[in-house]
Amino acid sequence: MSRISFYLKERIKEIRHRVLLESYEAQKLPKWERIVLTWMMLFIFWIIVSSSIVLENLLIGGLATLIISSFMYNMLTDDIRHSGHLVEKIFYIVFFYMPQYIFIMIFRIIESNFKVAKHAVLMDINPGIVKIKTDLHSDTGITILANSITLTPGTLTLDVDRKLGEAYLYVHWIDVKTLNREKAGESIKGDIEEWLKKVFW
Amino acid sequence: MIEYLFLLLGEAIMVFGALGILRFPDVYTRLHAATKCDTGGAMNILIALAIYADTSTLIKLKFLVLAFLIAMINPMVSHAIARGAYKYGIKPEVVVDMYAWDNP
Repeated sequence: MSRISFYLKERIKEIRHRVLLESYEAQKLPKWERIVLTWMMLFIFWIIVSSSIVLENLLIGGLATLIISSFMYNMLTDDIRHSGHLVEKIFYIVFFYMPQYIFIMIFRIIESNFKVAKHAVLMDINPGIVKIKTDLHSDTGITILANSITLTPGTLTLDVDRKLGEAYLYVHWIDVKTLNREKAGESIKGDIEEWLKKVFW
Repeated sequence: MIEYLFLLLGEAIMVFGALGILRFPDVYTRLHAATKCDTGGAMNILIALAIYADTSTLIKLKFLVLAFLIAMINPMVSHAIARGAYKYGIKPEVVVDMYAWDNP
């Protein structure tokens, strides 16, 4: 009896893992869309860094970035969520999602600067290390979430732990208010995770 | 005129960050002050430079690329320092330590 329940538990775990991987594979972008996205990023970077818009410069930069992006297309765009047409996706990312993120992060950085100044003057600190759960699975999404958590007021990411398709973050919190995992996660992550869920897997 | 506002704000943030580094008790709380105040102060000073500099728009955009790179790299470095300090064995002065519960 006990062996059967063990077997069923392992089987359910295996099936869950496989469903997760299959849904991940189905949400990946096709190859040429990835190459185009990487090429656009690298080309904009080339124009800003070389800072001249002569025709020869644009031709050389376009060719070199096309060669690079045809080899390195996996690195940047492996985790972007699959939805809609390519032009629509670029339009949404450039004109809706990026300004939202920049707008959120500017105000969070200013708030965190003033909060650190307040803590440095008044010394009303109550530090602690808490563990929170994220709903993101991809590498890029977790990296950007951890960086954003470090820049938001009063928190600093210590380590990331991944078990069975679920990711946990250890966060050093300078002013611990609650030990409940859901409440702590809500007040630490805020609306950044809602934003990241729209773009990354 | 507005660039002096950005410049003064950046310098004030840097001063309070240095004060925080001097006054906080241990490594982790000092990293809070170092990361946030360095990022905010350097970004404010770079925005002031981008407004003030007497060059073309594409060269001004380079300052914004620099600000973006600082905002991406600075938290990663602070995370590496904090994790390295924990692995080396420096105990934090905390009320609750869930990282030590899971990695005994």
